[in-house]
Amino acid sequence: MRNFLAFIRRFQVLLIFALMQGVALTFYFTFVHFPRSQYLTTASRISGTILEIRNDITKHFDLSNSNTKLQEENIRLMEEHPMSFIQLDNGLAEINDTVYRQQYAYMPAIVINSTHDKRNNYFTLDIGSEQGVKDGMGVFSSNGVVGVIHNTSKHFSVVKSCLTEDINMDIMVEKTGQFGLLKWNGRDARRGTMSGVSNDTEIKKWAKVVTRGGGGIFPRGISVGKVEKTDVVEGKPLWDITLLFSEDYRSLQRVYVVKNLLLEEQRNLESQNPVDQDQ
Amino acid sequence: MNVIVKIGLRFIALLLLQVLVLNQIEIGFGIQLMAYPLFILLLPVEMGVVVQMAIAFVLGILIDAMSNTYGLHASSLLVVAYLRPAIFKLFAPRDGYDPLMETNIFNMGTMWFLKAFGILIAVHHLWFFMLEMFKLNELLYVLQKTALSVPISFLICILLQYLFIRKRVEK
Repeated sequence: MRNFLAFIRRFQVLLIFALMQGVALTFYFTFVHFPRSQYLTTASRISGTILEIRNDITKHFDLSNSNTKLQEENIRLMEEHPMSFIQLDNGLAEINDTVYRQQYAYMPAIVINSTHDKRNNYFTLDIGSEQGVKDGMGVFSSNGVVGVIHNTSKHFSVVKSCLTEDINMDIMVEKTGQFGLLKWNGRDARRGTMSGVSNDTEIKKWAKVVTRGGGGIFPRGISVGKVEKTDVVEGKPLWDITLLFSEDYRSLQRVYVVKNLLLEEQRNLESQNPVDQDQ
Repeated sequence: MNVIVKIGLRFIALLLLQVLVLNQIEIGFGIQLMAYPLFILLLPVEMGVVVQMAIAFVLGILIDAMSNTYGLHASSLLVVAYLRPAIFKLFAPRDGYDPLMETNIFNMGTMWFLKAFGILIAVHHLWFFMLEMFKLNELLYVLQKTALSVPISFLICILLQYLFIRKRVEK
């Protein structure tokens, strides 16, 4: 016992160091994968408020750019509006539409803090659970997909962006329909990779890649990027596909949060699937 | 000025500088600027190492909370606080440290600062990027990030001292 106490006294500093290091690393490795509380993220009230003040100051620097983006989007929407179509046939009866039902609702949000240079990049939005944001909702912008809500507080939320290691978003090549998972290797904010596509299929260069809508997070067909090149993975029958993101995450300002109104129905149905025995 | 007030102000200033300015500067090539290890260097010499580590942990966690790194900064700053006494011992001047003197670049000389703080900040950055990547096959990229970021962070730390610490007038 005496020896033990002497040991502790001798290595006191080292032991305290190891203890604190353990706490810090536990935070790090648990939070990246499973967010448990909001207090250590930018979704917390204090840091959220500080970042919002900073954004109030700096958001105007990029104003002309984001105005152009909004204008482009407006033009695109205007083209789809009934007023920009000529009515060709007058004789049709009006139908109370029961064929289509709204599945997705969208909430506008502003990115108040973002990075693009780190290994895992998170964006902070200025809306939170009080506005109806929940963990796991999708986020996209007018140019393409952005990420998934990772953590929310009352008035802020943190998005796990496409620029994180394990984003694993369900995506597919639009024309031909091969699907795979979106990954990011941490180097270039303009390029991601798509994994899990078998190399016996042909992938055209500059083919458009969109979300698949599999997990019920995103509607099908939100742009992700374009196929820039395909390489062979050594020892596996898979393509290593490099994508050029359609959104430039370095100047992201305005985004939309997707709410899937039928998510519960889908989850309920899928939870009835038999579980694989060998897993 | 009272030492505690001074240290407190420096704490807040470096925290805000890191979160609001340096975190937003993204040059590319994986360069990431971190100037807050300077805070640990400038703590009083005779302060206990456990106290230093506690302060380092708090500062690190606060930076983490505002940049979504969940403990990375805290872990790397702890390493700096832990190594500081050893580094100070290694480069101790012939007649020891004056306990009332702050260990900044003017009091200790450029060479001392270059050696002592250079090692601390290099270890800090290396530890940070290694944990951030956490893959051995990306070691080369980690080294590239460290080699590119350390000189710039170091220059910022020197600049901060020239801007905010008053040079002691030689009698």
